[in-house]
Amino acid sequence: MTVQLKGRAEAITIQWIPKYTTLERAAHWLHTATFVPLAITGMILYFPFLQPLAQGPAGMTFRLIHRVAAVIFGLLPIVYFIFQPRRLILNIREFLPNKDDIGWLKGAPAYYLLGRHEAMPPQGRFNAGEKMNGLIMIVAWFVFGLTGVPMWFGKGIIPPELFRWLVVFHDLAMIVSVCMFLVHLYLAVAHPLMWAGLVSMRFGVTSAEYAAEHHAKWYYGPKRAMEIWEAKKREAAQKGGH
Amino acid sequence: MNGKKSSETHLSRREFLGLSALGLGISLAGARSASAAPPAASPYDVAILYDPVKCVGCRACQMACKRWNKLPNESTDPLGIYESPRDLSAITWNIIKLRRTAVGWHFFNYQCQHCTDAACVEVCPTGALSHDPMGFVALDREKCNGCGYCTQFCPYGVPHLQIADILTGAAKSAKCTFCQDRLRSGIGGPSCAEACPVGALTWGKRGDLLEKARARVAELQAQGMNARIYGENEAGGLHRLSILLDEPEQYGLPSVPKTPAFARAWQRIIQPLGNVAFGAALAGILGVFLFVRRKIRMEEVR
Repeated sequence: MTVQLKGRAEAITIQWIPKYTTLERAAHWLHTATFVPLAITGMILYFPFLQPLAQGPAGMTFRLIHRVAAVIFGLLPIVYFIFQPRRLILNIREFLPNKDDIGWLKGAPAYYLLGRHEAMPPQGRFNAGEKMNGLIMIVAWFVFGLTGVPMWFGKGIIPPELFRWLVVFHDLAMIVSVCMFLVHLYLAVAHPLMWAGLVSMRFGVTSAEYAAEHHAKWYYGPKRAMEIWEAKKREAAQKGGH
Repeated sequence: MNGKKSSETHLSRREFLGLSALGLGISLAGARSASAAPPAASPYDVAILYDPVKCVGCRACQMACKRWNKLPNESTDPLGIYESPRDLSAITWNIIKLRRTAVGWHFFNYQCQHCTDAACVEVCPTGALSHDPMGFVALDREKCNGCGYCTQFCPYGVPHLQIADILTGAAKSAKCTFCQDRLRSGIGGPSCAEACPVGALTWGKRGDLLEKARARVAELQAQGMNARIYGENEAGGLHRLSILLDEPEQYGLPSVPKTPAFARAWQRIIQPLGNVAFGAALAGILGVFLFVRRKIRMEEVR
């Protein structure tokens, strides 16, 4: 694809490579479209200053919205698992922590705040930040479901002591996942280095150049990625030395 | 370029203070105000006193409660010949049960204990449950959205949900309101106490009732009963005082109602910590946004 950018004389060519399946993108956006209303309708019972919205019929309407959204939110990963189980397992595997995450943590401030690409060692298909987001959302999905379903159907059946703990864990999952969501939203929408993320989630593709830069171990394979990285470092050291 | 760099790439003091204030503001906006602390039980509060030794189990209190509050009949299983219905529910707010204690079988009346330190009021997110200035725990059914927290946090298991639809969650909490409408409009006292023909249930100023209860306990102790007052200090002082002839556990009443401590841990520790996390996340993101916007040029990004 050739793109003519404003203020640039020559057109640039972008080579697109696939990153997400259609189902994955649909699931992601439905997850967003249910997560946001779930968080908002849930916070009505959480923040005392929202008390007027919680009262009477309004409160019952928000509960209904919460429950409708919760059903979709709960079913999404199950639908994904039924239709593309191998993709789901592949993604979860790539979310698991490994040695690259330490390098990411060390390089992250210089990379994200100052835009120093050379500070960031090669990353796989997901970097440590993306893994954290993915894992927190997966864990939160289980916690929301395991605490939410008994709170919905078990009131008066399950022991009150258990119910109280369910409320607390539902709250904790909300606090952690909403904080993660806010960071995720900023990086996806407003951070200049992460421009390709939103493109990938909308169209399912990513730029080859972006992938080589940000996800080298995925693009080149781990061995080749490390070779290129080492070569770059040597080059930079030589330049610095002379 | 170099000369301008410091001012361009670092947050100014004003921006830093603004961000800190934003974070703090979000944290505080979610905090429960200190005024939510329950008032102390006053001797001038209204209260109900129950004396099981005088009770003959006629259930006039139960009937008067149903009639005044327009509560429908409840079908009951035939095993409950002594207790009908078996327990408090969304449509039974006052009930006589049989208990076996140190003195043998006797009647005992159950209703809302109207705590001063009420867990239900503390966890209620709508303000439907509140402390009436007269001292009892009032319920505004218009404000209630049926979340059911009160039913799960009450140490006495008093509030019950009237569930209209389990799927949508349309429901209303229900419990003894101390006949709040009678007291507020000056019609009289709680219908149960006014209906009692033997003076087992009486109502009046809490200070007077405590005095009366102490005298009665001394009388019963002189007769050799292990009598005591329940509700003088429990949960900050109850507005339903009872004379017990045995340990509270024999009546299914907790000797130390513990739930408020849990409700406090949840709403006063976990929720404020959450608010700090939200505040920090938003302020941090905004700070990074302002910083990065100046530092990383889109034209240089591959």
